[in-house]
Amino acid sequence: MDCKFIPSICSYCGTGCGVLFEVIDGKIVSTLPMKTHPVNEGKLCIKGWNLHEHVNSFLRLKQPLIKAFGRFIKADWDEAIQLAADRFREIIEKYGPDAVGLLVSAKITNEENYLAQKFARAVIGTNNVDHCARL
Amino acid sequence: MSEIRANPKECNRHVPFEEMEMNAKVKRWLEDGIVDLFLGYKMVMGHPLPHCFAKDKIEEVDDLIIGTSRYSLEKIATHISACKTDIKIGMLARDCNQRALNVLYIWNQLDPENVQTVNVNCCPSNLKEHGDCSYLEPETPGIYKQQVGVDNTHRPQDVEIYDQQERLSRWMYEFQKCIKCYGCRNICPVCFCQECSLEHKELIETGALPPEVPVFHLVRAVHMAGRCIDCGLCEDACPVDIPLRLLYRKVNEIVVNIFNYETGSSTNQSPFSILGDKVTLAPKPLHIKRAETTNSSISPQEKN
Repeated sequence: MDCKFIPSICSYCGTGCGVLFEVIDGKIVSTLPMKTHPVNEGKLCIKGWNLHEHVNSFLRLKQPLIKAFGRFIKADWDEAIQLAADRFREIIEKYGPDAVGLLVSAKITNEENYLAQKFARAVIGTNNVDHCARL
Repeated sequence: MSEIRANPKECNRHVPFEEMEMNAKVKRWLEDGIVDLFLGYKMVMGHPLPHCFAKDKIEEVDDLIIGTSRYSLEKIATHISACKTDIKIGMLARDCNQRALNVLYIWNQLDPENVQTVNVNCCPSNLKEHGDCSYLEPETPGIYKQQVGVDNTHRPQDVEIYDQQERLSRWMYEFQKCIKCYGCRNICPVCFCQECSLEHKELIETGALPPEVPVFHLVRAVHMAGRCIDCGLCEDACPVDIPLRLLYRKVNEIVVNIFNYETGSSTNQSPFSILGDKVTLAPKPLHIKRAETTNSSISPQEKN
């Protein structure tokens, strides 16, 4: 039995509320507001309270899918990343890096969002980065 | 993770004697297998956060602190025991944790055989001047709230000085601020129902803000009768400062007056348990203690 408490920042909007994930046996079971966090002082909105739910959702996509012949076909990561990289390169060479935009998500972690914007700016070379919960 | 330290005093501080003694006790419990896990607090990046101590990382127990913030450790314990029923859990317990544990034992959410507590100092109150807890007296409300709302620092009888109309409008002001975050229910140590009335589509309309007032809050208040242990975590978690603790205090006052049931210290389930065999729905006279009621109800006529 392994029980851990992981402090993090809510990724749903730009307020930056401190949250605490309750992880039992490697599975997030609940989100708590961080009591001493200077931003939210132990309070959360309904989205913050349910921050953990999409992690264990049965609707979550766990495998890359490649659209071919009008249908989504299951693929492995190497194949999917290679395909995406090839297509991106094609587009950037033809139309320039600003032809690409990156939409990051409230449903990935703060750190992953950081990596995504870094990828857009440093690798692709565009400032077209946006977030679904840009408040 | 924020770099701002929540309480600079907490860092590099002198470890008081009670804490050293407590840590030695917890170490002994873990080593001897009296408990498999111990729920306490630890400083993480300047924040006192709940932490689960275990035998395989026994050296961490040196960092065990009582902490100035208060999380519902007993609710975490119910989550752990739901995954593994026979696990022995130790935890730090303030007075409110202790009352919550009693309610959870009564409702079979935790087995008292599997829970050990280390009792620590509690919130400041009329009885205790010094407290180690985050729940200090609530802030004095602003001028507008004083004029139209309900003061969080009031006692139930203080609110009753307003006439009925004014009381209604003051409570309605408080309720209509609600953003329906469900924080009061989520943080509540004694809210454990699988299905919650507050999420029932036919009882509570979905997609409307504020939620249907005052029904939303009154549904919860009614469910808190005989359950609420007056820990104040709901009020602490409320983003719009609704005086929930005051509301539930009033509800529990009724439970004490009518049923003589002290939530958190009584050893049987509350009179609102429809599964209990002792519950009767016969109306009972108001404001009379249970002992007096039983005496007066056995009148000579009834005996015949």
